[in-house]
Amino acid sequence: MSVKKTVQVIVAVGALLAVVAGCTSQPMGMEAISLPMGYVANVQFSPWYVAKERGYLADAGFDVTFDYRYETDGIQLVASGEIPFTVSSLEQVIQARAKGLPVKGIALWYQRFPVGVISLATTPLAAPGDLAGLTVGIPETFGASYIGLLALLDAGGLTEDDIDLQAIGYTQLASLTSGTVDAVVVYANNAPAVLDTEGIAYNGVWVSDYASLVSVGLVSSDAYIDEHPEEAQRFVDAFLHGLSDVMADPDAAFEISHEYIEGLEAVAPLQRAVLERSMALWATPTPGRMTTEAWQRAQDVMVAAGMVETAVPVAELYTNAFVASGD
Amino acid sequence: MGSDLGSQTTYRAAPAQSGRAPPGAPAYLGSALLLLAIWQVAVLLSAGSARRFLIPTPGEVLGRLGELVASGAIAHHAGVTLLEMGLGLAVGTIVALVLGYAVAHSRLLAALFEPIIAVSQAIPIVALAPLLTVWFGSGTTSKVVVCALIVFFPILVNVTTGLRTIDPPLRDLFKLLSAGRGQTLLHLEIPAALPSIVAGLKVGGTLAGMGAVVGEFVASTEGLGYLVKQGQNLYDLPMMFAAIFCLMAIASAVYGGFALVERAVLRGQA
Repeated sequence: MSVKKTVQVIVAVGALLAVVAGCTSQPMGMEAISLPMGYVANVQFSPWYVAKERGYLADAGFDVTFDYRYETDGIQLVASGEIPFTVSSLEQVIQARAKGLPVKGIALWYQRFPVGVISLATTPLAAPGDLAGLTVGIPETFGASYIGLLALLDAGGLTEDDIDLQAIGYTQLASLTSGTVDAVVVYANNAPAVLDTEGIAYNGVWVSDYASLVSVGLVSSDAYIDEHPEEAQRFVDAFLHGLSDVMADPDAAFEISHEYIEGLEAVAPLQRAVLERSMALWATPTPGRMTTEAWQRAQDVMVAAGMVETAVPVAELYTNAFVASGD
Repeated sequence: MGSDLGSQTTYRAAPAQSGRAPPGAPAYLGSALLLLAIWQVAVLLSAGSARRFLIPTPGEVLGRLGELVASGAIAHHAGVTLLEMGLGLAVGTIVALVLGYAVAHSRLLAALFEPIIAVSQAIPIVALAPLLTVWFGSGTTSKVVVCALIVFFPILVNVTTGLRTIDPPLRDLFKLLSAGRGQTLLHLEIPAALPSIVAGLKVGGTLAGMGAVVGEFVASTEGLGYLVKQGQNLYDLPMMFAAIFCLMAIASAVYGGFALVERAVLRGQA
């Protein structure tokens, strides 16, 4: 084949490939975004799986790819304008805002702060004051787990000096059952379900019984909210629609979750229990709405702990502009 | 009947190849300044854009480093990491020396252990670290174990290579002189394998830093790895970078220290 003919064939193939690529690319008007989830694929994200599977996110104009990276990465990517939204525990907004990152909570997901401390039945733990003198294992000394623990200690009239706090990574149940620690900081929708499944008796104190702290929600940046308010509204609506569907029909939501969670069927009874416990944390007559009090309380805990040097005006931390008034 | 090999027969290496002289302090300083310049340009290009939240300025990092040094935080956390590195390197080296000697001298042991050792290196230590925290606790021990596991293999390889590549005529000479196992070890094997062992320590020493950081990332409230993690999660990028630079300095110092030892060993054998 001559050189000229070879070039013609290559150009023709290239043009054909471009057409095919165009045909398989996202539909017109759809914005492809990645959404950091802050945790591994889990039934706790079923509202998002439902919202994607039933087309709510697509109808809102977003082709969403779930990205199971750390929530702090998501906050930084939103602040830097790389992505428009991230799922995060909202106390991260306080921390980030205090460091100058222009991010804001735009919808609340978890209505009750999901963190608590549990011990085996042999270690008395009925109120926050019972934490005194215990060796308490915590995944990390930052984030929702740490803030939740501080709030519990405060509720019990204690400080960190009254316990032996050990950072144990995400080995809570192994550390607890092996006796390495007396108690561990956990999420209410996860660890208790595992212990119940294993038939292990435990005691627990839960932050939400003693303090109303802002919890998991959706975050965006000041710039995106100002420049794309309609898109932000549609995205929040899509999420809340997915959440509402899960609350109305958890069986269907669990079924949809199989498409997004590898190996779910093998642990279906446990994960179904996790979903039920999660729904108890999500239930509210005013989906998405946040309160000044919850944000203020969370910031107070963080300032007292030295995690935030200078308090941020609470009004800068969130907006209810994209959620129904609930009146 | 033993043979007096103390001062008569000791392995001496051939003179080391001089090759190219290692880069001196001016070259390292030049590299550091070039790196700072590139970094500053990158920050200047992103200033005013939202991307500025992804990278701090050199000034911010140096300022934060100064604060951490002044408060004693760097000294404390660096001390913790150095302790973990030192203990991990010591444990890993001792095990590598013993196992390396056994494997180099016994075909049976080599056949038994080498496949296990090779396969064990495929296990990602990051996945193993949480388990080690459960087995050994969240204190220094688990970090030392992680370090030892990481440094063990490169040192072992160098020990066995160093022992196996001793000239057979030299071994024959020592046998001819009726040298005992201890004498052979002291006057032939150790001197012959020492350059290789020290080369392994150069690599192992820098890997020990990585091991300490992996352990601290999983579960710790102390150490430079902990500072990196805290900086990342508290949106304190200057602190994160400051801790990373300290780790780089430690790794460079360890590598440089063993490089000096290596040169001294080679010079002594010339």
